[in-house]
Amino acid sequence: MDKRSVKEIEEILIREVAAILSVGPSTIVPDVPLHELGVDSLSFVELLVVIEKTFNLKLMETSLTKEDFQTIRSLASCISKMR
Amino acid sequence: MIHLPFSKNRRYLTGIDWIVHAFDYMNKRATGAGNMSQIVLELDGAPPENELRQRLTRFIKKYPVVNGQPARDYNLAPYWKIPSQGQRPPLSFDISRLDNDAGREDVFARLARGVNAPFKSAREHLAFHLVYAGKKGFVAMTFDHRLFDARGAEAFLCMFQQEFEGNGESSAGISLVEPPHLCRWREKFRAGQQVNRAFLKLGEKAPPRILPIPSSLHDRGFSFKIIPFDKAQTAKIVDNAYDEAGYLLLMPYMLGVAVYVLHGIFTDRNICVGDYVISVSIDTRPQEKVRQEVFFNHLSFFLFLIQGHEADSFPALLSSIKRQLYSQVKSRLPQDIEEASALMRIAPLPILSHLMRLHLKGQIASFCFSYVGESAYTCPRFMTNKVCNIFHMPRVPVPPGLGVFFHQSHGKLNGVFSYTEGMLSDDEVNTMINRMESLLGV
Repeated sequence: MDKRSVKEIEEILIREVAAILSVGPSTIVPDVPLHELGVDSLSFVELLVVIEKTFNLKLMETSLTKEDFQTIRSLASCISKMR
Repeated sequence: MIHLPFSKNRRYLTGIDWIVHAFDYMNKRATGAGNMSQIVLELDGAPPENELRQRLTRFIKKYPVVNGQPARDYNLAPYWKIPSQGQRPPLSFDISRLDNDAGREDVFARLARGVNAPFKSAREHLAFHLVYAGKKGFVAMTFDHRLFDARGAEAFLCMFQQEFEGNGESSAGISLVEPPHLCRWREKFRAGQQVNRAFLKLGEKAPPRILPIPSSLHDRGFSFKIIPFDKAQTAKIVDNAYDEAGYLLLMPYMLGVAVYVLHGIFTDRNICVGDYVISVSIDTRPQEKVRQEVFFNHLSFFLFLIQGHEADSFPALLSSIKRQLYSQVKSRLPQDIEEASALMRIAPLPILSHLMRLHLKGQIASFCFSYVGESAYTCPRFMTNKVCNIFHMPRVPVPPGLGVFFHQSHGKLNGVFSYTEGMLSDDEVNTMINRMESLLGV
């Protein structure tokens, strides 16, 4: 399995969140809370599905704590640790 | 490729629009009035009635689409026939004056009459109500769901306000163009296969658990119980949702709350046969497109199956809902429903309304649920009055004639139980609210 850096994971997540929200990637700031970016329950679950397909991690079954999932940066860090 | 001529008097209906037409047909058959809803703005004062009436009349005149009606094209695709200017019925607008000490309950009882009254003609799809209640004013817009979904209706009123404030031409950028969707048949049939499999799975132990619909509905309407939460209560509910369901998972959390409190009523009545089937409507357009796609229905559905024993325990219930939500997002069920529903447009409404009840032995669901999210009415004022709160009063397709809905506006969460008159007693509704407040810790 390839080992991506936190920065690379972050870039993938920015692209995916932008695609889910139908906005340009340049508008996605990685340390802004996801809910402030416009992510809601449904788009968050869509992101979790993308994470499973891309990183082979089933995060829906974890506790989904606010600390780990609040921003793209914290999420990238969490994914990096779990791989 | 064949390019069909575009007509500004014709807006093709999507498969989802046609399903909403079937709900309207079913409600008219069962209750005498259609699949309507009402958005209510609670204001810190009442706007002057003559000015409001005149401004609304002028505003609505710009949108002939609000007086359209369904028709079928030569290619058999259903469409919304938009009248030309000049063939418009007058705006329906009524005024009520309540006593100075009238509370919200009195106001909503009055407004329930508005949403339960059928429209006056086949071309009327909007009606307005102004209620004076002491120092407060309530403006309500009753709308036909064939014309708007909930968020579209909020956006429409918001456009009225923006025009009142002089912020540009409200109609700019609104799209009324929809292709007939008579292509990509292979994709539609593949989606139909997926949706059929999902329904077969739901129907394994059909019929679902339901509350009996009172007989002789024709002279009955819907009753509504509004459950407002203030900002502090809302913040606590959101924190609870993040702790118990997970970050951002407010929708599945509120669905869990709804199932849990209704399960209490089913159990109290000793209705224990079958599973709960819940249809959950979701908005399919991105936030920034609400303004462009204000008319018609831009939604799809999730379908949840909850076994009785799962509903006994709130954590088990949440876990089941999260698992099903994830699975349906992954398998793209809402997108498949959107795609496959286009095939159903060939069916006339009496046949479609029958087909929709086939899998679940005459039923559609145990109840309907929706979490609309943040309101699309983003203006702090309506005319010159401050908006204190926003509520929805939706009539629900019959069957099941029972729905639980949540939405947020200006940082406040509001819930509403909507049920056919006589389906739930006042004691049962109060029990549900007590259980809900106890579960939410507010």
